[in-house]
Amino acid sequence: MKSVAEFKKGETVKITCVKCGRNFSRRISELGLFDGSEIEIIKNDNFCPVIIKIFDSQIALGQGEARKIYGEKI
Amino acid sequence: MVKKSKFIIGLTGNPNVGKSTLFNALTGARQHVGNWPGKTVEKKEGSFDFKDRKIKIVDLPGSYSLTAYTEEEAITSDFILEEKPNIIIQIIDAQNLVRNLFMTIQLMELGKPLVIALNMVDLLEKKGTSIDVKKLSRLLDIPIVVINARNQEGITKLMEVAIKTSKRRRKSNIKLSYGVETNDELQKIQEFLKTKEKISTCRMNWLSLKLLEDDLRIRQELTKKAYYFELKEQLQKSINHLQSIYNKDINIILTDARYGFIKGLEKEIISKKTADKKRSFTERFDNIAMNRFLGIPLFFVVMFFVFQLTFKISAPIIEWIEKFFSIFSETISTFLMHWGVSEWLISLLVDAVIGGVGGVLAFVPLLGVLFLLIALMEDIGYMSRVAYIMDKFMHKIGLHGKAFIPLILGFGCNVPGIMATRILESKRDRLLTILISPFISCGARLPVYALFVGVFFVDYQGWIIFSIYMLGIIMAVIVGFMFKKFIFKKLSSPFVIELPPYRMPTIKGVIIHVWEKIWSFIRKAGTVILLFSVIIWALASFPIGVEYASSESLIGTIGQTVSPIFRPLGFDNWQSSVALLFGFVAKEVIVGTFGTLYGVTDAESDVGVSLNDALQNDFSPLSAYVFMVFVLLYVPCVAVLAIVKKETNSWKWPLFLASYTTIIAWVVAFVVYQGGRFLGFV
Repeated sequence: MKSVAEFKKGETVKITCVKCGRNFSRRISELGLFDGSEIEIIKNDNFCPVIIKIFDSQIALGQGEARKIYGEKI
Repeated sequence: MVKKSKFIIGLTGNPNVGKSTLFNALTGARQHVGNWPGKTVEKKEGSFDFKDRKIKIVDLPGSYSLTAYTEEEAITSDFILEEKPNIIIQIIDAQNLVRNLFMTIQLMELGKPLVIALNMVDLLEKKGTSIDVKKLSRLLDIPIVVINARNQEGITKLMEVAIKTSKRRRKSNIKLSYGVETNDELQKIQEFLKTKEKISTCRMNWLSLKLLEDDLRIRQELTKKAYYFELKEQLQKSINHLQSIYNKDINIILTDARYGFIKGLEKEIISKKTADKKRSFTERFDNIAMNRFLGIPLFFVVMFFVFQLTFKISAPIIEWIEKFFSIFSETISTFLMHWGVSEWLISLLVDAVIGGVGGVLAFVPLLGVLFLLIALMEDIGYMSRVAYIMDKFMHKIGLHGKAFIPLILGFGCNVPGIMATRILESKRDRLLTILISPFISCGARLPVYALFVGVFFVDYQGWIIFSIYMLGIIMAVIVGFMFKKFIFKKLSSPFVIELPPYRMPTIKGVIIHVWEKIWSFIRKAGTVILLFSVIIWALASFPIGVEYASSESLIGTIGQTVSPIFRPLGFDNWQSSVALLFGFVAKEVIVGTFGTLYGVTDAESDVGVSLNDALQNDFSPLSAYVFMVFVLLYVPCVAVLAIVKKETNSWKWPLFLASYTTIIAWVVAFVVYQGGRFLGFV
């Protein structure tokens, strides 16, 4: 299990655990990011926010936030 | 025939789905922008006639969900429940069906008549995916109309269906299952409520769900009830039970259930024909626009061209308007003189009214072009990329990338910029952004720079103004950094932003947007600025008998009292002190004031030319530049202070803002002037 910030471009990740605060977890869950959901890493240069694909839209997630969301490569 | 009673539509949808495009297509220019009562969220209303009906449409704030964690987010459900629109239209981007349907589910839970406007189906089909609209409509039990908001296809049909659906008061009969355990708990809450109060089944379903969800608004509503403590106990029991079973937060459990349902739907109605491997334009462009090294330079290049273009396009129009006003005032005064109108009245009309307002109106094209270019950047989708590349940088001043958007909007006018801080989730982020945003040089300051570069820096207009704008940005950064260090020590809130694909802006939308901005500027020029032009004129004409706007006049006395403060900054002529005092009303008034004060010293000469000469007498290029710096940084205009008061809900912050900016303005102007002299500039 790695944090989203550690995955590379093109990898598909199944989210296993979201360790953010309650409100933030709820917010991103509405976008479709919660335990069990699958995302694709679109871009991660370890500097700017990580861009992930959830369903059919691209969401940018700050590096700090991405480090608190864990998942496994599928 | 008498028109039937007003038909009210609530228009809702996720961000970036074409909601404003549809709204503009329906209402055209007949829009009204205000605030939701008691809230700091913009409310847009419009009206139009459809067949024999008068229809009012309310644009509900766009968000991804109806769950209210903050007061602002409660608006949509509040509106639907309390103002009871005849119908709700949700506009959905077909390319992003799953996420959009999440909100549909929540709207269904509200149990009110709903129609879906399915937008951008053509774009989806282009990608080789097809969607079975009929089946989707059947599975959701909601009427769906395929539309194209951009070229207004399907809009008549949408209205017909909306009216029909509302007439039958038809609502979806689909009841979502949230899983056996959750359904059981919902049942328990409902049974408890039934013993206490008579509530309709539809409202009961919704209420129990919201209670379980810990909806802020519902909680508050029920705290007043006598049985609240008992209810709270029941809720806590249910929530604990569910959370221990699923080992998840209650909201996540519900979200999961909703998405589960939607994914089931998706399988039934979407069929992908070909896997699209071609790299889209968005992807290719994003490789540059969002590149770690190229992104920021690209942004500066874009901004530089924005300002260059603004001047190149607007300059000839401005010249034309100025000429018009000078001929106009000359004609009027000779005409009135001929009619024997008393001299002071002519002076009031020509010097104050035409001179003051005309001088400001001449800059409308300039603002128009700038607003247009900024609106285009927003519409194309470039703004969210800017937020992205700026995130790392904004973290240094304790904010995240999204806070950069209000700052950019501030280039148009600080007031909408400050209002846009509402996109930020935390109070701290909002306050910090509000406090640094007045350093972003707004459109109203541009006329002042334009006046001075026109006189002193003809060959370097773009560069000089670019440097002033950059100085504003740099000051915002420095001050933000200081604030982060000393006042707001808490961490900034998380950064999440959607990156929509690039798209062609809709001309109509952009034009409506720009027109709104321009019109509010013209209104301001017509009222506040007219009023102050007259006040300035009066102060310049009294006491009776003094030469107009001479140093013996009232205004001259005031200016002379204040001006020593500005001596170390290189502009101690009393006219500029007066102009700065009046600039507090609105920065563009500075131009009008110079116009009035230096105004028609020589009746024969063209107004514009005499102002040029007068400025050249009183300023050197260096002191002109310092004056621009001071105008950039000193106290924001009344409108900004008023909006800051409204947004922060106290006088403390606007007062703090007014004093600290003025102190900084003086210090920076001092450093620039003395530094410039030291380096040998004059």
